Amino acid sequence: MLENYLPILIFIIVGVLVGVIPQVLGWFIAPQRPDSEKLSPFECGFEAFEDSRMKFDVRYYLVAILFIIFDLEIAFLFPWAVVLREIGMFGFVAMMLFLGILVIGFIYEWKKGALEWE
Amino acid sequence: MGFEQILFYFFAGVLLFAATMVITIRNPVKSALFLVLAFFNAAALWILLEAEFLAIVLVLVYVGAVMVLFLFVVMMLDINLVKLREGFGEYLPYGGLVAVLLVIELVVVLNSPQFGLGEMPDPVGQAADYSNTRELGRLLYTTYVYPFEIAALLLLVAIIAAITLTMRKRKDTRYQNPAQQMSVQAKDRLRVVKMPAERKG
Repeated sequence: MLENYLPILIFIIVGVLVGVIPQVLGWFIAPQRPDSEKLSPFECGFEAFEDSRMKFDVRYYLVAILFIIFDLEIAFLFPWAVVLREIGMFGFVAMMLFLGILVIGFIYEWKKGALEWE
Repeated sequence: MGFEQILFYFFAGVLLFAATMVITIRNPVKSALFLVLAFFNAAALWILLEAEFLAIVLVLVYVGAVMVLFLFVVMMLDINLVKLREGFGEYLPYGGLVAVLLVIELVVVLNSPQFGLGEMPDPVGQAADYSNTRELGRLLYTTYVYPFEIAALLLLVAIIAAITLTMRKRKDTRYQNPAQQMSVQAKDRLRVVKMPAERKG
């Protein structure tokens, strides 16, 4: 089975090299004369007036966590779709029950307005 | 040493390096990025164990979703890095005690007769058309259907908990309501006032 993954490994290696080689070349070939102005953080031409750590609205977090939950739900769908012919009606009903429970959550968040951005 | 073994040692080495960096590096954002690297290498190890579906789910769910959330939270939090570095010596005895206890427990468990190399035979290599996803699906939706439905309930609880904990309407936001804008009548906006005409002089 593992031999099927050899092309993927080669692909990953080539991908990493494409990312790494330009940086290494840049490090060795490009002239480096840093000064304090060049090394300071650049913010669209004006002086940086704030730290990069600042408080965000918690709603971004809510959207992200709702995404994760439905991402997990999708992960359960893949093996189910592969073996649906073998597990038959029982497996189908099991998955419909699973999805039904999550649809309750979906309706809840929809009605509660968690998907609204105002 | 076969090619697979070299790969195993490579991935395991990078995994250990990344995991060490997670706890030693000072910048929390970099620490989260090293955790991403650790997850990637763990996924590679799982593929070497022929658990391909779990490996892909690890990348999809942990790297794609959970770590993004982690990074998000780390970047969002207003953490004072200088303050974080204080009190290392203060926490050291407690942390060290927990670490020593964990090491002792691990040694006891791994040295037990149930855990010897003889008890755990090497998994046999599978044929090229073997599908780990198919095996998993066969078990998950028939034998383990009850835990599977419980997983749905856990996700439901997570949805409701996340919404109740973080949902709040902000009163100071200004936003447009297109429906209201469209249905507005002239008399809502414009008031014609009758006034007596003024005489000149």
